[in-house]
Amino acid sequence: MNASQNNARRVAIICSHGGLDEAYPSLILANAARQSGIDAFVFFTFWGLDVITESKLDHLHVNMVGNPSAPVPTMLAGLPGMESLAGSMMMKQMKELELPTVREFLQILDEAGAELYACELAMKMFKREKKDLAKEVKDVITAGDFYDLAEGAQIIFT
Amino acid sequence: METKNVHVPGPEGKTQDHSLAALHARLDQLSADVTYLVERQRKIDDFLDDFGPIAKAMLNSTASRLDGYEKRGYFEMGREALGIVERVAEGFTPDDVRKLGGAVVGILETVRELTQPEVLKVASEAASVLQNAEEAAPIGIVGMVRATSDHDVQKGMSVMVEVMRQVGRAAAAVRDKRAASPMGQKKAKLDAVLGRRMGTQKSALGVERTLPPRPREAASKIAAPASKGPACATPAAPAATATVLDGVGFSADGHMTDASQWTRELGQKIATMQAVDMTDAHWKLVEVARKDFESTKTSPNIRRLTQITDVTTKDVYALFPKAPARTLAKIAGLPKPAGCL
Repeated sequence: MNASQNNARRVAIICSHGGLDEAYPSLILANAARQSGIDAFVFFTFWGLDVITESKLDHLHVNMVGNPSAPVPTMLAGLPGMESLAGSMMMKQMKELELPTVREFLQILDEAGAELYACELAMKMFKREKKDLAKEVKDVITAGDFYDLAEGAQIIFT
Repeated sequence: METKNVHVPGPEGKTQDHSLAALHARLDQLSADVTYLVERQRKIDDFLDDFGPIAKAMLNSTASRLDGYEKRGYFEMGREALGIVERVAEGFTPDDVRKLGGAVVGILETVRELTQPEVLKVASEAASVLQNAEEAAPIGIVGMVRATSDHDVQKGMSVMVEVMRQVGRAAAAVRDKRAASPMGQKKAKLDAVLGRRMGTQKSALGVERTLPPRPREAASKIAAPASKGPACATPAAPAATATVLDGVGFSADGHMTDASQWTRELGQKIATMQAVDMTDAHWKLVEVARKDFESTKTSPNIRRLTQITDVTTKDVYALFPKAPARTLAKIAGLPKPAGCL
């Protein structure tokens, strides 16, 4: 997969949000890229770190507040436990669709050859260490490293 | 006292004299006693003279107080209380009372808890609020929500929630106990015989309303594709034939348009074009893919392949490094895999 050598297509996906609905687009895009023979790597930063944090990735929530597509009025969306409820409901529906869970997805991406990176600054901010992350995460890198890696790649920000 | 001077001479004079002296002494004693008694009587008379008015006043006040009690209905209440006791005696069997005996300790403990000074203080403050209730300004939902940011209100809510939780638990325990008791079972049987609606204990605490059945259309719409076949993939319309090579039609993206035209030799040719060195493992996957296409009319994607066989995602990528599912579909003479997994 020496993409830069054989001039293959590459994508760099930046995942900066930790909601369940915000994690999936990044994961699906990365996976679809690999399936299409496109080299992919994902850079998890800020809240996106939750998607690869071992203790959080199994119960990501869905934020309903300020979301005009939410099935409940914003007035109610802010009630305690609502995002947790929405998250579990969405997970249930995804299960019905046989969609992989976030954990499975990380494993699939890893096996498919997509590379996952965590943002160093965000790690410091959230006081997380490499050992707190899922084992599929390849490295903790800086924004500068990201640009080095993303050379010649299309960058997708989610 | 004159007897003192009487002197009777005689042969027995000495003895008489002796008895007289004894009598004398006794008389002296008597006289002292009488003096004491008289003195005491006088003191009592004095005391009664003093005490009389006081006693009278006391009697008066007691009478008026009792009268007041009577007017205020204390005695009426007492009589009623007796009635209650009678009713209790009628209504409860000795067995109940024995059971109650066990609970008395609990009741007393509850009373003690309730009468702790701090608890009483809380109650009295709550009562004072209720007394001043008419001065309270009415608030709406917004006011209520705003009030929830107040620390004390939050504390109160937490206490209330805890109380409600305990009450709910106790109610559930009582319900379970009643249902389990012989009486409860009899009642349930009777209800079954009489055809009364079970489960809807209207008089009991915690009446549970049965919700009308919700239309499940929304859920079935989502579940529908999943029940038909693999995840995130719906059978795509057959692609239009773009080119024909050796009598075999290919679509614009390089997939055979008619899977039934496929032969192993053709597959080998396509594999060579795709730069895939076919091994037994490759052919096995091709077979699996073709079989799955027959049943689902869908070209399997990688997830589907890993689900219906024991190969891992890693294996699939190792066998077909570039776009595995697409390459596999091309070699197997199947259309492009649908879906995004």
